[in-house]
Amino acid sequence: MAIQKDRVRFNVGGKIFETTATTLAIAGRDSYFAAMFDDNWDLQPNPAGEYFIDRNPDCFAILLDLLRTGELYVPPNVPEKLLYREALFYGLADHVRSAKWGRFDGNRLHLLKSITGRAPGDGTAIRASPEGGCCVAHGSMVHIYDWMLEEHPPINLDYQRVNDAGWVGPVDPTGLVISTCERLGRGQGGMGLFNSTTGELRYKFSVTHENVVKSYTAGALCFNDGYNLFSSCKGRSNEYGIGMWDQNTGQQVDFFYEPSGWSLGDADKLQWLNGSNCLLVATLFPRKDNCYISLLDFRSKSMVWSWSDMWSPANSDDRRVRDAIAMEENGSICVVNEFEDLGFMDLRRDSGSVRWSSRSRIMKGKMPDEPCYPKLALHEGQLFSSMNDCISVFCGSDWVLTSRLKRSFGGSICDFSIGGDRLFALHSEENVFDVWETPPPSIV
Amino acid sequence: MSSQKKKNFQIEAFKHRVVVDPKYADRTWKILEHAIHEIYNHNASGLSFEELYRNAYNMVLHKFGEKLYSGLVSTMTLHLKQIAASVEASQGSLFLEELNRNWAEHTKALQMIRDILMYMDRTFIPSTRKTPVHELGLNLWRDNIIRASNIQTRLKETLLETVQKERNGEVINRSLMRNIVKMLMDLGPSVYQQDFEKPFLDVSGNFYRSESQQFIECCDCGNYLKKAEKRLNEEIERVSNYLDAQSEVKITNVVEKEMIESQMTRLVHMENSGLVNMIVDDKYDDLGRIYNLFRRVPNGLMLIRDVMNSHIRERGKQLVTDPERVKDPVEFVQCLLDEKAKHDKIVNLAFNSDKTFQNALNSSFEYFINLNVRSPEFISLFVDDKLRRGLKGASEEDVEIILDKVMVLFRYLQEKDVFEKYYKQHLAKRLLSGRSVSEDAERSLILKLKTECGYQFTSKLEGMFTDMKTSHDTMQGFYEAMGRALANGPILSVQVLTTGSWPTQSIPACNLPHEILTVCERFKTYYLGTHNGRRLTWQTNMGSADIKATFSGGKKHELNVSTYQMCVLMLFNNVDQLSYKEIEQAVEIPTVELKRCLQSLACAKGKNVLRKEPMSKDVSENDSFFFNESFSSKLYKVKIGTVAAQKESEPEKQETRQRVEEDRKPQIEAAIVRIMKARRVLDHNNIVAEVTKQLQSRFLANPIVIKKRIESLIEREFLERDREDRKLYRYLA
Repeated sequence: MAIQKDRVRFNVGGKIFETTATTLAIAGRDSYFAAMFDDNWDLQPNPAGEYFIDRNPDCFAILLDLLRTGELYVPPNVPEKLLYREALFYGLADHVRSAKWGRFDGNRLHLLKSITGRAPGDGTAIRASPEGGCCVAHGSMVHIYDWMLEEHPPINLDYQRVNDAGWVGPVDPTGLVISTCERLGRGQGGMGLFNSTTGELRYKFSVTHENVVKSYTAGALCFNDGYNLFSSCKGRSNEYGIGMWDQNTGQQVDFFYEPSGWSLGDADKLQWLNGSNCLLVATLFPRKDNCYISLLDFRSKSMVWSWSDMWSPANSDDRRVRDAIAMEENGSICVVNEFEDLGFMDLRRDSGSVRWSSRSRIMKGKMPDEPCYPKLALHEGQLFSSMNDCISVFCGSDWVLTSRLKRSFGGSICDFSIGGDRLFALHSEENVFDVWETPPPSIV
Repeated sequence: MSSQKKKNFQIEAFKHRVVVDPKYADRTWKILEHAIHEIYNHNASGLSFEELYRNAYNMVLHKFGEKLYSGLVSTMTLHLKQIAASVEASQGSLFLEELNRNWAEHTKALQMIRDILMYMDRTFIPSTRKTPVHELGLNLWRDNIIRASNIQTRLKETLLETVQKERNGEVINRSLMRNIVKMLMDLGPSVYQQDFEKPFLDVSGNFYRSESQQFIECCDCGNYLKKAEKRLNEEIERVSNYLDAQSEVKITNVVEKEMIESQMTRLVHMENSGLVNMIVDDKYDDLGRIYNLFRRVPNGLMLIRDVMNSHIRERGKQLVTDPERVKDPVEFVQCLLDEKAKHDKIVNLAFNSDKTFQNALNSSFEYFINLNVRSPEFISLFVDDKLRRGLKGASEEDVEIILDKVMVLFRYLQEKDVFEKYYKQHLAKRLLSGRSVSEDAERSLILKLKTECGYQFTSKLEGMFTDMKTSHDTMQGFYEAMGRALANGPILSVQVLTTGSWPTQSIPACNLPHEILTVCERFKTYYLGTHNGRRLTWQTNMGSADIKATFSGGKKHELNVSTYQMCVLMLFNNVDQLSYKEIEQAVEIPTVELKRCLQSLACAKGKNVLRKEPMSKDVSENDSFFFNESFSSKLYKVKIGTVAAQKESEPEKQETRQRVEEDRKPQIEAAIVRIMKARRVLDHNNIVAEVTKQLQSRFLANPIVIKKRIESLIEREFLERDREDRKLYRYLA
């Protein structure tokens, strides 16, 4: 009798399915099934003892299988898009998403697909969203893709060039901040928070200098845990430096003015360091003739660590720093030159020199027609570096090269980003980006 | 099967007409609207969840999300307005019940509506940043019911009234209250705070303000506190019964402020029942209550402490300056101990052994004990009394307990060196007269003093014990060496005392009887023979003797007397009558001592082995003394005490005082030199401060004395004044 009670019979689009209430319970309260079988609904099956659902039976079979086994198997004859639509209907999209790919591991990545955009090459930036989607900044447009890699209506910045974009984070999954160039004479430009699904502008972040709102060009972006947003700013006169805003209200909280003889407003890269409550700001060649890397403490308004190559000997031309990333656990900053040699600096000592780790690379000297400068990223103890058309993965305390992600077309990689357990790489020659993900863990 | 086909067919038709049928959205919405009505009317059993869900889904899918959402808002608002009307119409006490019933129905309906609109909730609402369905339902309820003008005030007043009823002792429906309060909390913390908590706290404040006024007029302190405690507990219980846990701090603050803080001073000083009376009457319960309640308010404990402090000081001052008490040192110290025990018990039982109270107690005792300059002497006398007789039969643990208690008092003394002086005297008497009950107890006390004040303090006292032991050995050696030569003579027991360790005075030796003198000379020869380069002086004023005497009828008695008394009595071996002058000539005892000695022999009732003519209490130089043949006593052994003042007499006191002052000089000088040697240069005030600090454990150095010592050191060229700054001193190596 108990088994009888537990058993549930569905008629989905004419096909009969039998399952148990226990299996359906796995779907969770925010699902179609939980709502349907809630005591409030005095639900009665039809005379045949079935519950009718007017949906696609093939997809239902896949989703029921997912609830039964926790594993997603999509037969080739079912388009993924169709499946996602059905999953959304039943409130199982999150189940599908988490079953589709596993926890990010740089050494187990496989290429999911390459997506071709509409415009020709020369993308500016690609940013992974926390849910596994991404956005691609391209001229004055930002293209948005959700985790199903479905393209949403693009955000058009009214002919202003986009410099950087950043996802607000899990608290506001649709929030996207876009930084743009100042538009002379119009008082526009700067930064705005957009809704990534509707493309609507929620509010602009303004820079105020001596109680006057100034127009400015916003560069690199960065967020911290305390819902603050940082951006490098270049204004008309004094407004050079790093701005700090409250993400939730859009109000300017603070402004770190650029000291003379140093560069902050042109910074290429910002990185928030949780452990020391500091912001890493890096201005790199060729935006400036020299490299400036510094750690800012906003509370004491001081530069707690700084390094620049303007004091280095002139012959170090081939050792120009092209990107930098702080690795707090190691107490060091990792830098990379245009030949993808990695260098390290001690964060605990001020103004130290770069310790280059020399790795002989076949690439040396043979540069492609349209080279892209290397970029660095760090994810859970794995260091990623892009060079030309591939991305290298380094692991362990001495940063051994353990994997290389490479795909044969699209030209050099101009930017890449890790987020939502996926890696997105944007190519420069063609408007193509690659999506890499870790397969779900095997069952046996 | 046919019914399914039909349904399929309908959907097909829908999809076809999506674009062409302008009324598609309206029609679908009508279905959903109808369903919402049915849900509110408890008529949901006829509804098909699948159909409703699919319709809502389709509306969102076909970009009618906005219409769906606004439709939901207006339909729900409509229903809530109806509910508001029915709640408003409810009669008197049924108001809360009606509200609660509707709330339960609304939450259920809200859940069902949210089930139908789940797809909208998940996709349309986040992307348009609208309020999710559940939250929307709560907000609408808040705005249309709770904040409706006719309900808001009534709700607030009903809730407050109900609480007031409970305060007045009526039984209320707590579960109903809990449900309503829970509803307010579900609507968001701000609703609970604004619509209930704030007015609740205000009303409570007023209530307790007037109640405290009323209580204070008609209750004594103890009863008032009981009532306050009861009210406080009631409020805490109320919070746990049906309010938000976070309100506990707030409401207890109100009670504390109105019932305790505002009446604090008046309560403590209340006539006949205030704090002082509680302390005097040992009302531990009341004191515990006052402590626990006052602890809750700022400065509450400080007030209690201050009042207790001044009370103890006042009482202690009376005690130590009461001329009646000063007459008996033992009772005096016993009083102090009792006082200490009483207050310790209060602090431990009622004041939670609070450290700050213990400190206050200590400082009070220190204050008043030192008000009487004789306290060190009295404490030493108390110890003397205990170690002399009091401890007889007492177990070792009891001894320890009494000694520990005395040590507590000792700690309060500022002039510990004065105590040492007296203690030395008393100890010497005990040791020499062999009246110390227990050497263990003596040693234990010395150990305690040592741990308290250091080795220096007790080294001389320990020296006294060593002397006693060595003397014992010496005597054994003496008798072994003499052998038979002394067999028939009196037995001599000599205690060789090291000069300096003992409170000896240079007193002219009296004339010892011939028999004794012989033995003494022998001992002297023996002792100096074994110990080279020493000098022996007889301290006849400190000795004692046991002599056998035969009275009329052959009655024999053994008399325990002092050396002086022995000398006098021995004169009567040959004659029956002697005049005072004759005695004085024969024995050469100092006048005062002699008079005292004769007094004790002739005037003490029952122990008068001599008879005096004329009979009177005092001894004068013209008196004559006779051997009292008719002396009788029930006991074989008779102890003849000396009429010795236990307490020091006035001149003796002065003398001791002077000696203490003399002894302090080198100690102060030593401290100055130690400090200056380390510091090299220091100004006057700092020297005084440091010297005082260094000597604190022994006595309280007088700044004037310190100044004199510094001057003396400058004269002797240990220090010099700085040439520029006369306030600076320099150390001269």
